[in-house]
Parts: sequence; structure tokens; C-alpha cells
Amino acid sequence: METESYTNGGGVAKEIGIANKQTIRGNDFVLRFLAFVLTLVAAIVLGVSKQNELVPVQLVPTLPPINVPASAKWSHMSAFVYFVIVNAIACAYAVISLVLSLANKGKAKCLSLTIIFFDLIMMALLYSSVGAAAAVGLIGYKGNTHVRWNKVCDVFGKFCGQVAAAVVISLVGSILFLLLVLFAMLNLHKNRRH
Amino acid sequence: MASEPEKVVPPVEAPVAERPPEKAAPSPSTTRPTDYFAVADVVLRLLVFASALVSVVVMSTSKETEMLPNPRPAKFTQSPALIYFVAALSVAGFFSLITTLGSLYSLIKPGCCAKIICHFIVIDVLLLGIVASATGAAGSVTYVGLKGNTYVGWGKVCTLYGKFCRYVGASTVVSLFASVMLVLLVLLSVYSLSKKIPK
Repeated sequence: METESYTNGGGVAKEIGIANKQTIRGNDFVLRFLAFVLTLVAAIVLGVSKQNELVPVQLVPTLPPINVPASAKWSHMSAFVYFVIVNAIACAYAVISLVLSLANKGKAKCLSLTIIFFDLIMMALLYSSVGAAAAVGLIGYKGNTHVRWNKVCDVFGKFCGQVAAAVVISLVGSILFLLLVLFAMLNLHKNRRH
Repeated sequence: MASEPEKVVPPVEAPVAERPPEKAAPSPSTTRPTDYFAVADVVLRLLVFASALVSVVVMSTSKETEMLPNPRPAKFTQSPALIYFVAALSVAGFFSLITTLGSLYSLIKPGCCAKIICHFIVIDVLLLGIVASATGAAGSVTYVGLKGNTYVGWGKVCTLYGKFCRYVGASTVVSLFASVMLVLLVLLSVYSLSKKIPK
């Protein structure tokens, strides 16, 4: 960052603007890369989660219980399907916006605004998918006696662990998207004319 | 006797010369164009507050009791996801009320508290995250209650508790509307900030 003093006021303002754009661009790159990695890991961890177990089912009270093979997959629950799809979209968007923002470097204003707009939408979608997967996972963990929904996690422990890990990783990724939006607005706030 | 009118005239002229500059100063401030961004800001915040309030009220009053085979009520307190929904939307309604009053005050008296208004954008973004996650949680639980899940043995609830499911579903749709309004609000703030940037 240069410390020369210009005689005209417009030159000084431009110098400050270029320095600010460089620092905010550095933060953006790291945040977007981390968000890409985290959403990719969350989608993969839930996408490959599958567990097969033999569940003892008592058909008739007199006979001993029969072992029935049952499997737990992410595709059985629509909330998990939504979670995987949204995380995959967010991961793809993080890559595209990383490339675009590196190529743009703060020059074209309408491209920066478009990136902020899509950042905001991705953040809202990611938060809703985290809420959905966490709600369904909690029902599977504790059950719900009022509506006769039984616990699933005492049988499918490994599957439930993978769901919990994916939800936590995606939560950190969505917090990164929120920080991206906040930093973009801080950048706009700093560069504006008073 | 002839020098007296000469002495009287200059003091009379001096106050007359001072008055026109004072009269010229107030006129530019009375002609102000209507700030569409501030008006749209207040309207959107009011819509967010109203929809958050409606969601909380509809969800809280959604209690249904079935008499057969034995009296079992269905309330929103039986599901942790719905409890989180009510709590999150109450927080969102409270904060949106504060920001609505703040931006209304700023509309009436422009330029009074510009620094505080800048902090409202951060509140809006945080509220968007909270409301979106609450909508997702309530929506997923309602969907499982509506369709059931044969793989894990969770039966349909909405065939038995029709009114409860209708209320919860309506509350979720209204909170979805609130989150869309929050997205529009943040976009409006970003757009009005970007207009002030020198090219």
C-alpha cells in the first residue's frame, strides 16, 4: 500500500479504493475456497452414508423374533435428499464464483452485485437445508412418542453419526457464506461516497 | 440640519442588505425528492414483522385434540423442531419491529442516525439465516408428518390431525414469505449502497 500524498483529492480516494479492494479480495478467495471444501465434504459424507443391519421383528408373540435385513440410506428421507442437493449446488456455485471473482478483481460493478445476490440466495438455501436435516436427524435420534415415531439411531448408529457430522460441517460452511455476504457489504460500505 | 438625513439613511440600508441572504438559505431544504429506497425499506421491514407475527400466532394456536381412541392432543410443543420454529420467528419478529421503528424514524427525520441504520443490514442478514433454518426445520417435519416414511416406520399424522397440519403448513408458508422479504430487504440495502460508489 502506497503512502504518497496526492495534491488532488480524487487521486487519494482512488488509492484507498484500490488498497481496500485488494484486502477484501484476499478474504473472499480464502472464504470461498473453504466454503467449497466444506460443502463438498458435507455432501459426500451424507451421500455415501449407508448402513445395513439385521433387525429383529416379532411377527407373532409365540414365535421367536425373525431377523429382517433393513438398510438405512440417505435417499430414504426427502430432507436428506434436499440437503445433499443443496450442498452440491452450493459447492458448484462456490467454484464458479471463485473463478469469476478472481477474473473480475472488483472491476465490473454489476458482476460484483450479481455475485452478492447469488451468495445471499445460496446462504438462505444452505441454512434451510441444515435446519431440515437437523430436524429430521433429531426425530430419528430421540423419537417422538406423541405421534408414535420410533427411534432409529439405536439400531443404525453409524448412519446417525454420519448424518450428524454432515450437518455440523454444512453448518460451518453456511456460516462461511454468511461471512462472505457480510464482508461484501462491509466492502461496499467502505467504498461509498459520503 | 442637512447632515442628519445622511446619518439616518446608512443605518436603515444596512439591515435591509442583511435580510435577503437569510431568506435565501431555508428554501433549498424544503424541496426534497421522495427517497424511494427509504420508503421501500420501511414497507419491507413492516411486511417481515407482520409475517413473523402471523406465523408465531398461527403455530401457537394450532392445537387439536382427537377423542378416539383416547383423548390425545396435538400441539406444537411436542416437536423440538416446531418449538425452535416458534422461538426463532419470535426473535425475528422482535428484531424486525425494532428495525422497522428505526427506519421509520429515519424516514421522518432524515440524516439523524445514519450509523445505526448501517448496522440494520447486519441484523437483516443474521435474521435471514435464522428464519431460513427455522422454515427448513418446520417444513421437513411437516412433510414427514404429511407423507409418512415407510422405511423407518413413521406413519402419516395428517390424516388424523387435519386442522393441526393445516395450521402448521400455513405457518411454514408464511415464514417462507418472511424469508423472501428479508432477501429483498438485503438486496435493496446492497443496491442503495452500491449506487453511492464512485465509478
